[in-house]
Amino acid sequence: MMDAFKFFYECVGIFFVLYMIGYASFLFLSVAVGSSELYHSKRRNLLKNELLRDYYVPVTIVVPAHNEGITVGATIRSLLALDYKLYEIIVVDDGSTDDTAQVVREQFQMRQVTRPIQRKIPCQPETVVFESHSYKVPITLISKKNGGKADALNMGINAARYPYFICMDADSVLQHDSLEKIVRPVIEEGNVVAVGGAVRPCNGAEIKNGRVISYHMPSKVLPCMQVLEYDRSFLAARILFDKFNGSIIISGAFGLFQKSVVIDAGGYDPTTMGEDMELVVKLHVFCREHGIPYRIRYATDAICWTQVPERLKDLCKQRRRWHIGLFQSMTRHRVMLANPKYGLTGFISYVYFLIYELLSPYIEIFGLVTIALAFFLDLINVPFMILFFLIYVVYSAILSLTAFFARIHTVDLRLTLLDALKAIGLCVLEVSGLRLVMAWVRATALIGYKKKKNDWGKIERKKIYFN
Amino acid sequence: MRVEWMIYAYGTVCISLIVFNIIYNVSLRRSEPRLERRCHRIRAKMDEQLGRLSQGQKVDEKHLDYLSSKLKRVKNLIAFDRVLQSFPRGDKTAEAYFQQIQPIILHLAVIYRRREVMQAAYFSYLLSQYMTTRQMPVDSLQEILLDYVRKDNLYCRVNALEALYTIGTPRSILRALEIQDSDSVFIHEKILTEGLLTYTGNHDELIELLWARLDSFSVRTQLAILNYIRFETGNYAQEMFSIMMDQSRDKELRLSAIRYFGKYAYQPALPPLLAFAAEKDPAQWEYAAISVSSLARYPGPEVVQQLKEALHSSNWYVRYNASLSLEALHIDYSELIDVVAGNDRYAREMMMYRLENRAVQKGEKVSP
Repeated sequence: MMDAFKFFYECVGIFFVLYMIGYASFLFLSVAVGSSELYHSKRRNLLKNELLRDYYVPVTIVVPAHNEGITVGATIRSLLALDYKLYEIIVVDDGSTDDTAQVVREQFQMRQVTRPIQRKIPCQPETVVFESHSYKVPITLISKKNGGKADALNMGINAARYPYFICMDADSVLQHDSLEKIVRPVIEEGNVVAVGGAVRPCNGAEIKNGRVISYHMPSKVLPCMQVLEYDRSFLAARILFDKFNGSIIISGAFGLFQKSVVIDAGGYDPTTMGEDMELVVKLHVFCREHGIPYRIRYATDAICWTQVPERLKDLCKQRRRWHIGLFQSMTRHRVMLANPKYGLTGFISYVYFLIYELLSPYIEIFGLVTIALAFFLDLINVPFMILFFLIYVVYSAILSLTAFFARIHTVDLRLTLLDALKAIGLCVLEVSGLRLVMAWVRATALIGYKKKKNDWGKIERKKIYFN
Repeated sequence: MRVEWMIYAYGTVCISLIVFNIIYNVSLRRSEPRLERRCHRIRAKMDEQLGRLSQGQKVDEKHLDYLSSKLKRVKNLIAFDRVLQSFPRGDKTAEAYFQQIQPIILHLAVIYRRREVMQAAYFSYLLSQYMTTRQMPVDSLQEILLDYVRKDNLYCRVNALEALYTIGTPRSILRALEIQDSDSVFIHEKILTEGLLTYTGNHDELIELLWARLDSFSVRTQLAILNYIRFETGNYAQEMFSIMMDQSRDKELRLSAIRYFGKYAYQPALPPLLAFAAEKDPAQWEYAAISVSSLARYPGPEVVQQLKEALHSSNWYVRYNASLSLEALHIDYSELIDVVAGNDRYAREMMMYRLENRAVQKGEKVSP
């Protein structure tokens, strides 16, 4: 019996060594590439290696809103303050039960119109349309029956007048220059069908007219840890994937898409919870299967500020939703898995997301269970285990800090000593504590997901103070 | 033992990253004051020379030597740029100063041409920003700028093109467009069109030269040139007409020609525009959609009739553009009664929406 356990642990040991080497290598590579790209772009800006003239690609901003009465007004005002000139704003009220539509109507002097909307992508019908031409760009409010976020986005795409559209969340604020930055890849390169923007937690930042007035680490512990997590996991990894056209996720909070390609691919899938990731994976599949040359880019300097959850309960809800979305996207487009037709996107991006995102919570929990079992069977070298764990924590924490400081340095933000110390202290807690909690949340996410798959998921909103 | 090596490896990575973060942080904190000091030194030297210029003297030879040796370093060039930025645009003394240091600029242009592309792009940026007059002897500089256009870097090319739009002759701009067209670095037609529009010389000469060589360019560059002509002059109606009617031409070029007749009315173009607008083939919808927009320039019963028919098109964009054109032609509600009271719901809704929209934009009350 003991021999069987030993053999089992031998196999488990080999598996985890390979798993950890894979993860550590990826983490190192992504942070090294991500940080170096950020420093490189800083030098590029210093040496004016950028397009200096304003080139305006017409863009429609689609803001899906469901019970966003508290934040939607500030969001629209922030959109009106953008430096860009050629855009329109479409707010899609997805059957809100609060005063979302009323807030928009009253704050922006909207008038009801009978606007014919072309149905290129199926979506729930509109109930009423309002427009306002009293501002620097037209604003449209479309109220429709509830159909979920993807359905609301599809309505926005149908109503969009311009060839490119931006999807964003109603609780986010775009930086003043974010539109011109996000369209830059379209001007600089041919065949760009989508561009992801950089999403940053705005908790702790003071933003005025789309400009950061002061930046501090959030006062609460949970958002603070998410700031570090965003830089390590999202910023650095996405820069790495961008190097080989391997981005398979563009955050729903801020992304630019070519309308015609999205329509041809069928638009957002309303049956998934992770419609943002599903669309990007679908665009890869659509373009590859139809032999369309394409690029999906990531614009590190196109910044969207978003509220990250401040309560653990809300964070768990958000991560559960993300994990279900990930599961749905991965399973629907499994044709990509190690498929030579998809190049490095199938071999690296898809495999990474499968092993280190989708399956990782199960692997990590399995690891913890085997450790506990080994402890009872006296098959574990406890001092070595603690040493190894400490090395893992220090390694991950330092990589988090490297990505964090790279971002801070390259956008010329100044941190106080207290903020820097907070970042250093909390990155250890994030790696050793929050990550395990999130592993558990994600591992249990799929339980009962069918019942909740079209739920927007209520997260407590705070009013955004946009001056 | 092997596991220990792994731990050592991780430890080494950790220590390296900590050292990197500390060194970078320290150097970053020092970089800005260093740049300030450089700016201060250059500013002092420049002020001296500006003083000489205001007294009618020339820039000192020693100063030229100083610039020649210092500006070879890109960090000094950045400081020099920063100092130049502090002068208001059109400052006569600053322009005279820049005029007198032209030999140094030429010398530096040769040096930076051999540097890595980011530095070369930066130098071509400086040229595009400060070569604001067309007075200097520029032949040799134009040749050098053409070498910058050859560099395998978008920004270097665009900046060099920008500089050429300021100081170049039509022939050198034609040459630059041929160079950018001949190889792999993609330059969006919008960049080319916007750039050409900033040309400070004689546009007629440039357009004549570009038109003569139009067919030698790729479709992308041809499209940029056609758009440039559209924004610049109405004197190319006959030439555009031939492109619009030439079925062997690329679709985008023909559509650009149709747009030309939406900007400049040309009566011989009216019958073909009406024919495009009447096009029923779904594969040709773009011709119909753009021609109904262009028809807004041609008032008359025949046009109004065609636009009203276009409102019944199965294509949404054709209907939408037709309603915009009818609105632009200020057609009275009574003339549109057959549409707004007709049986075609799609045509009716589109036209009603335009009429409502007109009212909304005028701030009138709109009935629900």
